Amino acid sequence: MSHFDEMTVLLHLDGQLDAEQERDFPNHLSSCEACRNLLQVLQKENIWLQQAFSSDEESLPARLREVPGQTETAFPWGWAVGLALAATGIYTLWSGIVDPWLTQASEAGFNQGNVLTMLFFSGAFWGGWDAMQSMIEFLSMASVAIAVLWLLRRRWKRFTVAAALLVASLGMLTLSPAARASDVYHGDPNYTLETGQEVHTDLVVMAQHTRIDGDVDGDLIAFSRSITVNGHVKGDVLAFGQDVRVNGPVDGNIRAFAQSLELNGVVGKNVMAWARELDMDEKTRVGGTMTLGSADAQLDGQVGGDLLALTETIDLNGTLGGNADIRGQRLRIGPNADIKGQIKYRGGRQPVIATGAKLASPVGVLSRGRPRPNYASPGFYWRQILSWAAALLFGILLFMLAPMFFNEVETAADSKFGVSLGLGLLFLVATPVAAIIACFTIIGLGVGITTFLLYLIALYATQTFIGEWVGQKMLGAGAGSGAVFARLALGLGVLHLLRMIPFAGRLIGFVVVLWGLGALVLAIHRRLRPLLTTAAV
Amino acid sequence: MDGRTTSAAMNDAELAEVLSRVRAGDANAWGELYRRYAPAIFRFCRRALPTREDAEDATTEVFMKVRQKLGTFDSSRPFSSWLYKVASNHCWDLLRRRRIRQDLETEDAEALPLEHPQPSQLERLQAEHANKEVREALAKLPDRARMALVLRYYTEMSYDEIADALGVRRAFVGVLLLRARHQLRDILRQGGAEVALAAGGK
Repeated sequence: MSHFDEMTVLLHLDGQLDAEQERDFPNHLSSCEACRNLLQVLQKENIWLQQAFSSDEESLPARLREVPGQTETAFPWGWAVGLALAATGIYTLWSGIVDPWLTQASEAGFNQGNVLTMLFFSGAFWGGWDAMQSMIEFLSMASVAIAVLWLLRRRWKRFTVAAALLVASLGMLTLSPAARASDVYHGDPNYTLETGQEVHTDLVVMAQHTRIDGDVDGDLIAFSRSITVNGHVKGDVLAFGQDVRVNGPVDGNIRAFAQSLELNGVVGKNVMAWARELDMDEKTRVGGTMTLGSADAQLDGQVGGDLLALTETIDLNGTLGGNADIRGQRLRIGPNADIKGQIKYRGGRQPVIATGAKLASPVGVLSRGRPRPNYASPGFYWRQILSWAAALLFGILLFMLAPMFFNEVETAADSKFGVSLGLGLLFLVATPVAAIIACFTIIGLGVGITTFLLYLIALYATQTFIGEWVGQKMLGAGAGSGAVFARLALGLGVLHLLRMIPFAGRLIGFVVVLWGLGALVLAIHRRLRPLLTTAAV
Repeated sequence: MDGRTTSAAMNDAELAEVLSRVRAGDANAWGELYRRYAPAIFRFCRRALPTREDAEDATTEVFMKVRQKLGTFDSSRPFSSWLYKVASNHCWDLLRRRRIRQDLETEDAEALPLEHPQPSQLERLQAEHANKEVREALAKLPDRARMALVLRYYTEMSYDEIADALGVRRAFVGVLLLRARHQLRDILRQGGAEVALAAGGK
């Protein structure tokens, strides 16, 4: 047999010969010294080349010791865009929403310390679900909370979302009015402040049934199934209960969250109430404004300021010093009504006005239901842009707070579309129900409110997860903050555009919420699973 | 030392953890990944590209690409292979773009028959030339020959991977490698002759 050529030996060394060619090798090599030598020397040459190529006299140049993409200089556009958007977002939030909102709130008699109540009544509940989308003031709170948590994260190496949620819940609980109290009573099971007794500080009561016959020098804060106030309260009344009855004079504001609320006395400042049924007796006098969210409201008394009401049915049969803004299904104006301002009414049925009623001007009836988006108005697009900027800011903060978790939610959204939708629907319905049920027990109230707030944050966050997903489909999956911000910006932009489509836009918005919420639940479940199994063992 | 391993080798679990953190946007994890692999990638670019400046630029660019494309990396496969694939694609693109600008490289030499090597001569060549000289000779090779050798003997790519990276048929990879070896030997021999000539001429 003739000698192997260099090519064949080389291919043999690299394992590239087929079985038939390979078979001849051992026999020939054992008998042919020349080929053996060639094989050896080529083998040596391989090693010689490998050594020459990988040995290193040069160290890594200094300019390569800086990690690219980690410093600002390497990826300036990502940060520049991110910071500019964040600044725009913060400016927008402050000048457009937070500032006027705070002004409004202080007009309505809130001091800034009472943020939770303010959020609870004027934010989440007052506007109802329809207003949620435009509820950017809520977003500002969430964003600030997230920014604070993000700052904490730097000190806290092993920071997880679970811990964040825990901190948030604890924060909400400590924020609750009870923590600021000077006098706290746990009724056993009932609490009564007898006639003639006087409490000289704020009074906080948690009991089955609460009865205040004596006087309270400061605020009265009560968590109770039934609350009756007959005495004189010189501060505010903050009542959470099933049946709330206020007969005695209150010098400050009344804020109540109740199933039924009865007002029979004199209120110095404002009333803000979220109650299924509201009954205001003709003897009642409210010095300031009245803000209501209720199913059934009967107003026979006197209100000095404006009336703002979101109710199913409302009967106006008293004196109103200011204007009224009413949204509801049915408005009746009784014969004793004396309305000195204007009435704006947006509702299902035409208002019914009794013959004896005195109105300063005719009732302004606005178009039924929500106004359609006005596509011709530039303001509409400006609001869309603001909404986009706010969502982007929120998404960026969320991403900075928990990048891993953000990624996990997105993975869940990507891989489990159907499951996400189903879970999303389940949790969309079940969470508020659970939160409301929790609110009915005294201890559960904090948990209920916290759950509800987290739920709202989660609903808002869904668009950022899905927006990121959309961005990823369009721009590809690059790592790094700059790429994530760009994806978020684009994805959220696309979602906003889609939501502007008449009719179909709402459906798309709904699917985004379901899908994102489901993915979020899946990701949380995956995070908690190891914890749960450890706990079970 | 094997060119593929890095000075501080990460085990698979560590690497997977670092990668998932990088994907999630963790800048520290990215720094960790970069520091582990940058020396090897720089060395690769240094071999594959003609000048040191090119290699430095390319190293940074390769890592930027890695960062962008990390989402497409299949974690069931070895990370270093993928990394070298990105690096070789980048360097090869760079070379090809320049070659088009500088007019096409003449590949006529590839048609010439190769003479059968004398094992004793080859042995002497290997003994006489230090690593540094081999690398210098490598830099003088035509782009494709140099790239083929680097891919095979530095990154230890398979013939399939080389064919893919250089855009040639798989059957041609062996020929490419063989010719590249011959060219390298010739350059080393000539270099030696030049040195001898220069010494003699003095």
